[in-house]
Amino acid sequence: MGFREINSRMVEATVVPGQKLFSQRGAMLAYKGDVSFTPNMAGGQGGIMSMIGRRVANEDTPLMAVEGSGTVLFGHGGHHVQVINLSGDTLCVEADRLLAFEGTLQQGTMFLGSQGGVMGMVRGQISGQGLFTTTLKGHGAVAVMAHGGVFEIPITPQRPVHVDPQAYVAHHGDVRNKLSTALGWRDMVGRGSGEAFQLELSGSGAVYVQASEEKL
Amino acid sequence: MGTAGYLRCVAMFRLQGSKVLAVDMTGDAVKAKNGSMVAYDGQMAFKKMSGGGEGLRGMVTRRLTGEQMTVMEVKGHGTCWFADRASEINLVNLQGDKLYVESSNLLATDAGLRTGTSFTGMRGASQGNGLFTTTVEGHGQAAIMSDGPAVVLRVSSQYPLTVDPGAYVAHQGNLRQSFQSGVTFRTLMGEGGGEAFQIRFEGDGLVYVQPSERNTIAGDV
Repeated sequence: MGFREINSRMVEATVVPGQKLFSQRGAMLAYKGDVSFTPNMAGGQGGIMSMIGRRVANEDTPLMAVEGSGTVLFGHGGHHVQVINLSGDTLCVEADRLLAFEGTLQQGTMFLGSQGGVMGMVRGQISGQGLFTTTLKGHGAVAVMAHGGVFEIPITPQRPVHVDPQAYVAHHGDVRNKLSTALGWRDMVGRGSGEAFQLELSGSGAVYVQASEEKL
Repeated sequence: MGTAGYLRCVAMFRLQGSKVLAVDMTGDAVKAKNGSMVAYDGQMAFKKMSGGGEGLRGMVTRRLTGEQMTVMEVKGHGTCWFADRASEINLVNLQGDKLYVESSNLLATDAGLRTGTSFTGMRGASQGNGLFTTTVEGHGQAAIMSDGPAVVLRVSSQYPLTVDPGAYVAHQGNLRQSFQSGVTFRTLMGEGGGEAFQIRFEGDGLVYVQPSERNTIAGDV
């Protein structure tokens, strides 16, 4: 199982009976074998409560469940695709960046206000993430989309990393993030360096950053 | 670095993939395009500067030429990553020579390099970039951006080079440039081949060309 990278913008997944895949609706490019795609009204896993939760949180990207036996190619909008393998830890990612993920992963939504209270909510607004973000937990692979190439920066307790909120893609591991501001009088008079807000990630894990400051 | 006076602290430029520039800094500074930082670790400070030379003279030049690149100075300890709209990045080593580059194509330079503005005349107008261009001079490294991976073409006295103004990114060395036009009666009738204007480089140096063409006046005729 898992995803194989065909090139930088396309991944191939093998589907075997009994193991589900979820992917963004319309992201299938081609498939071989006997594979069925069913739109998932709930927008992912869990019952009706999780569905309502996602609707409220505005993290309800239309998903479809992929089942059967065969191979499927995924890609979307010519965006770069990065495969991230999770082994027990949690990945935080925006729902619209999710291309596909394995059914073995547990999907959830996280309220940004739960990390840092009001500042967490402010952070979500400024970085364009909204008040909620999607989490995936467990063992399995995730395919994430980004504009331009993606690179990974490891985070260790001695080495916190600062990321431009617009270039931030996802992070995994035991990472705390907070919004750090470098606002000075220069920003007030319109002479800012364009780097007034940064996401400060500390703890241990990794952050994925895209080579562009454009949203999807 | 106190013991050896000649050992300067120089920021190390390296490419991470083809679209991300990583700079390792130990207390020194680099100049980069405003807002192009994507991530950093360690301690960094960002300060806005203005391109086109220093001081009052630089300010007047910027106002007059419109070549006002907004630059920030990044200073600190650690690694800083730069990228801009997923453009391909090329590293240029300068050893006392001069690099001519459009300000929109310049991503970062060593703080020790001098930047200025120079007049390009008809060539600039044909590129759709205005009449002025940015120059980078001194010893150190610079990173320039291109739409698609750029090729570096060598120009020597026996082999002059002619490029499409829309695909030209930058040039360095001792080059003379002239503007060529292939406008004929057919062009005026709207039957042109789409290659009515070219820039011709003669002398000794390097020209960076991108595999993509900007929208220029020359491309339309």
